[in-house]
Amino acid sequence: MAKNDAVYKYLNPVGIKESVDIIPLAPRLDSLDGKEIWFSICGEPDVTIPLEKQLKNNYPNVNWKVKKTYQTSPIPLSDEEMKTCNALIQAVAW
Amino acid sequence: MVVDFPDLVDMVQDYALASGIPNIRTVHSSRTLPGPADVDSFIEPMVEALIRPLTAKEKETGRWEPTQPRILFEGTLPEAQKFYQQTRKVSSPLLHGSVCVYTDGLPIIAPTEELVREMLTGTSHKPDELITRQSSVILTQRDTTLGEWIKGEKGEVAHFQSMGWTATVEKVATIAVMSGCKPEHLPVVLAISESECPTGTAGIASQWVCASGPIVKEIGINCEQGMFDPGNPANMPIGRAYQLMALNLGGAMVGVNRLNNFGSPFNSGGTLFAENMDALPPGWKGLNEEYGFKKDESIVMVITGGSLLKTGSFPSGGYRALQKSGHGGIARRLGVKGVPGPHNLLEYVAPGLWVGHEGGYTIIMIPVIAHDLYEYGFKTKDEIYQWLWKQSFEPLKDYKLRAGPDLSTNGWMGIERTSGKHWKELPDDYMVPVGGNNPTDNCIIVAGGPSEHILLLNGRRGLTSSVYSVDAWR
Repeated sequence: MAKNDAVYKYLNPVGIKESVDIIPLAPRLDSLDGKEIWFSICGEPDVTIPLEKQLKNNYPNVNWKVKKTYQTSPIPLSDEEMKTCNALIQAVAW
Repeated sequence: MVVDFPDLVDMVQDYALASGIPNIRTVHSSRTLPGPADVDSFIEPMVEALIRPLTAKEKETGRWEPTQPRILFEGTLPEAQKFYQQTRKVSSPLLHGSVCVYTDGLPIIAPTEELVREMLTGTSHKPDELITRQSSVILTQRDTTLGEWIKGEKGEVAHFQSMGWTATVEKVATIAVMSGCKPEHLPVVLAISESECPTGTAGIASQWVCASGPIVKEIGINCEQGMFDPGNPANMPIGRAYQLMALNLGGAMVGVNRLNNFGSPFNSGGTLFAENMDALPPGWKGLNEEYGFKKDESIVMVITGGSLLKTGSFPSGGYRALQKSGHGGIARRLGVKGVPGPHNLLEYVAPGLWVGHEGGYTIIMIPVIAHDLYEYGFKTKDEIYQWLWKQSFEPLKDYKLRAGPDLSTNGWMGIERTSGKHWKELPDDYMVPVGGNNPTDNCIIVAGGPSEHILLLNGRRGLTSSVYSVDAWR
């Protein structure tokens, strides 16, 4: 029978986390002009509708590309798309 | 560059770290501002984040190695109780309080090495064995990119939701101790752990577990009167173990990455119940047999998600009046005034089932109602599943006025399953099954006390709801 004043060791219930390699952020752009920037949208499109419009209006010199899904995770860019992609904005409207 | 909501800060940080990009730049969108005004509030900082030079921290590389000791605490029992009930503040502006780190807010049984060792006598599996799937199964989780149900293959390691962590048999036994389980409960808890204990998000996402087979009597799971109420020494701790596994093994913490608006009474304390196999009408299969197991094999069915919990909306006396003498409102609705039963109660219930709901139902019905439906003519559960599903069809023009299908059809860009055609090719009068993709999205569980009621919960997905063998973990 356990006693209140006795000292015990207690086990750790927390799940096993994997170690992770830390990846530096991608180099920033010198300017937006002439760049290909992907706008990746997932979830129900609420603010992403006016955001997409304003991005295209306010930054007409950017080659905007859009990737959309109603699902909760974004659709990854293909290897081919990654070759010309200069930056990615990911919007989670969920 | 990520755009999120301010109440998602901790969740985004957790996922960013797990993905190896802890320093990712974010800006916040508002949940309430009108769209154009909202965009005005963050579009400049968002674009600026693409060109602002990186800081030294943002350029950091290396390896994140979490500290994960087997022994978490050493001290007296009162000290341990205090330790395991510690809380933390979370960043979510929607949560003005603290959240327990290891518990559901109630005291636990402190998991000493001795108690965990005793708990492990409830299984033949080794303490250091990783939790893996004992058979192939369709999980309750969707692929978040494709929207399809995820298949779990036999032998795969279980990655607990939300953070995808893994666990050993000893960790599950530790949580079984904390929850108040006995060693004979452990195979049930281990079977549940195979599900990865998903918790869902938004609304009142609920999780519950139904047991079927000899284990129900073996350990005394209540499948009769008050089975959801407190008082049973098997239902309560095993149900609780689900929630403590979700928190500890999956990192599903309220206000961090478990973001239900209201939470659910099913989750508060956890929910385990069982079907009453002795009370099944002749020819009606138990859940174990429905999923291909034998009558003498024990399983648990894990269902999660959705915001659905309602009763059949009729008084028990009204049901008896219908069946005994054809009296009362139900009899008038069914056009059987003065004619004693058996009558089909589901004809009374069905018209309201899909108002504001898409998908099948799990109907928990008391034995008397199940036997009346049998006498009425439903000789198998499948006949009821088929009947219910047929009641759910509506024209596409009406289906388009529902909010849920925007999501489930991926913005109407996919294929409608019953026709195999693209949604946009179908005429407005095409009849769509609102009640799920298949009749077996419905599920019947015979259980509960003597008073004539039914309870309606989220349906399952075909015969693909998550079902796990208890016997595999003995």
